[in-house]
Amino acid sequence: MSAAVNPTAFAGISIGTGVGSVTDWLRRITVRIAGSRNSHGSGILWSSEGLIVTNAHVASSSEHEIELSDGRKLQGWLLARDPKIDLAAIVITANNLSAASVRGARTMRVGEIVLAVGNPFDGVGAVSTGIVHQPVGRLPWLVADIRLAPGNSGGPLSDSQGNVIGVNSMIVGGLGWAVTSDSVNAFLRRERLTEVT
Amino acid sequence: MSSSLVEFSNSIADAVERVGTSVIAVLEGGREGVSGTLWREDLAVTAEHTIRGQNEVTVVLPNGEESKANVSGRDPGTDIAVLTIAQKSGAASLADESQARIGEIVLSVGRRGTDGLATTYGVISALGGPWRTWQGARIDRLLRLDLNPFTGFSGGPIVNARGEVLGIATSGPRRSVVTIPTSTVTRVVDQLLQRGRVARGYLGVGMQPVAFPDSARQALGTNADRGLLVVTVASGSSAEQSGVLLGDIIVTVNGSPVHSLRSLQPVLDSENVGKQVHFEIVRGGKFVKLSVTVGERPGS
Repeated sequence: MSAAVNPTAFAGISIGTGVGSVTDWLRRITVRIAGSRNSHGSGILWSSEGLIVTNAHVASSSEHEIELSDGRKLQGWLLARDPKIDLAAIVITANNLSAASVRGARTMRVGEIVLAVGNPFDGVGAVSTGIVHQPVGRLPWLVADIRLAPGNSGGPLSDSQGNVIGVNSMIVGGLGWAVTSDSVNAFLRRERLTEVT
Repeated sequence: MSSSLVEFSNSIADAVERVGTSVIAVLEGGREGVSGTLWREDLAVTAEHTIRGQNEVTVVLPNGEESKANVSGRDPGTDIAVLTIAQKSGAASLADESQARIGEIVLSVGRRGTDGLATTYGVISALGGPWRTWQGARIDRLLRLDLNPFTGFSGGPIVNARGEVLGIATSGPRRSVVTIPTSTVTRVVDQLLQRGRVARGYLGVGMQPVAFPDSARQALGTNADRGLLVVTVASGSSAEQSGVLLGDIIVTVNGSPVHSLRSLQPVLDSENVGKQVHFEIVRGGKFVKLSVTVGERPGS
């Protein structure tokens, strides 16, 4: 892929390939979760053994059909769900999966580039880019200036290197709100799901 | 592979951090607080409409400390208010906004109380020459942005990717961002500090545009197709003292034909206060020349 890049090209082109390669990686750890009434949400492969993290409002029933980026469709079982922080954990029977590399959301600086991958509308693995809007404070949210759509729910928000910093959850005032990676880890510890990872 | 994306990400975060040392929060501004930009070490500007009627406000400085600030000048025309702060902080680095380019990445930066900085990013979507606010004040350059405004952004800076201030952000119609460019802010700040206010010109006449029928143009021997009919003359105004009468029709101002009331706005800019303006007037079917000294709008 790098051979295709003109070495004398503008920096802008290598930024474009940067977005492209981070997106390729994020697509591998993003799953499509079939919901009720033909709607779709997204989820994040949190462990190579099939632990998936998504939003509680995406995982509304005990079983969901999960579609991996390679096209495999598997049965997913709800393990835990906390509507208060809009998180849910699902497990599929698979192993040797690509899994998210996680970065603490509190380490993000205001203005850092973020990427979201999800399945908005009919798009599969669609990417959008933005920046961190404000520092992560006491709340379990990372707010980003990024354009999200409903199918982004449950999908990853990452830094410029593809490290997951949050779970895209909602749009407020034109800004994207993601549950922080820190609160995902706290949720998994509370639900005693960390040993699965 | 993505190292240039990482560098780009870091440079945007650096720009926010750099200008952030000159961005303050104005707690009483707007509904949930607004932002301000340190134009000098002890002097900040903010969006005037957000602190209307207040003489003192509470600010949160870049170091997180709260302080009282005096509203030492305000110009509703350009939506700029000047705050004097007892404690000194670093002034913002100002850009020459005439060097701004279409497509350039820009950031709107604000401060939310003690929660820290907030930012959104976008691009300059169009540039243009001078324009006027609906109050008639001159803004020296148009910077139209494609940028998502956020709660409390007003009064904060619009900066380029190096963190240099291109202007002050304020809110426009339909959730748009209006940029008061750096050169205009500096001009208004200087006037506010020198005189405590930005003078606006005043003639003391009320006018309405009228069209000349062909017969009137022939009788007058003029190409002018319209003029401004004087319908009120304020008592004691410079127009009255110079002899402007009800029913006069102003046809040219300083030699230029007038088309609408907007044609007179440049005459009313603050630098013209005290200067003479020359009118060509149709009175009783004949051309008359009159000179009027531009006064200062009362209560401005």
